[in-house]
Amino acid sequence: MSRGDDIIHQQTRLQIMATLAALRPGDSIEFTRLRAIVQATDGNLGAHIATLEAAGYIDVVKDFVGKRPRTRVALTRSGRSAFARHVDYLRAILDGTATHDRPAALGREDGGRS
Amino acid sequence: MELSRQEAASALRDIEAAQKRSETLQGYTRSSPHLVLWGVLWVVGYGLTDLCPQYGRAIWLVITAIGLAGGFAATRRDRNGASWRYAAVALTLAGFFVAIFAVMSPVNGRQVAAVVPLAVAAAYILVGIRRGPRFVVTGIAVAALTLAGFFLLKQHFFLWMAGVGGAALILAGLWLKRV
Repeated sequence: MSRGDDIIHQQTRLQIMATLAALRPGDSIEFTRLRAIVQATDGNLGAHIATLEAAGYIDVVKDFVGKRPRTRVALTRSGRSAFARHVDYLRAILDGTATHDRPAALGREDGGRS
Repeated sequence: MELSRQEAASALRDIEAAQKRSETLQGYTRSSPHLVLWGVLWVVGYGLTDLCPQYGRAIWLVITAIGLAGGFAATRRDRNGASWRYAAVALTLAGFFVAIFAVMSPVNGRQVAAVVPLAVAAAYILVGIRRGPRFVVTGIAVAALTLAGFFLLKQHFFLWMAGVGGAALILAGLWLKRV
């Protein structure tokens, strides 16, 4: 049985990963659109994106459209796999087949669901 | 400390909600250029038809060909055979309208010019019921404007469809693209 992922499990990061996982592999989404989907503030979203990027789960690409800066976010291959494992873990809990291994860092201050 | 069933269920609900919002916005983004394109074509097509109604059939043959070619090109960037699905839908609609007008014949230009937008509006409403409320609003607006022009304007229905119908489609396309 797969274990949960403490980095993904935080509520905003879970929404970010779910949003990106709904895209086709290789597709990306603009920061502003992602912000609208997860309904977070700029600063909050930026912090969670940095956490996911540091974990290697997402790629962040910054460029310019004309003179306007643009930030695009995409799921990496390992991010897609990690998200799928985490969803399997959640479903296994509901099915009663999980091993009840609490993700290692869920007790961490920023790891629990808000 | 273990993750409870309630926590797991809550997380799965959050995932489902985020993915639904994501798919809705992606659908809006993909549809936006089609609405803007057809809005511009309505402005040109209905405008020319108002000026030269005797050439209405030829005008709309050209306009429709441009629209379908443009729509096909716009979907070429999408993977998973989206452009071929677009072509199949376009052929189905073309066949449907040819059959409808053959069955209802004789029909005049005003009737043709009203039935096609009404069918398109109905399609948007039906799509919107599953894919997002902005499609529903667009469909209702196009249908209402078409019916208003058809029943209230005897002389300048084509001009109405060019200015108001075309503008409505362009605005709807821009609205769909907005976050």
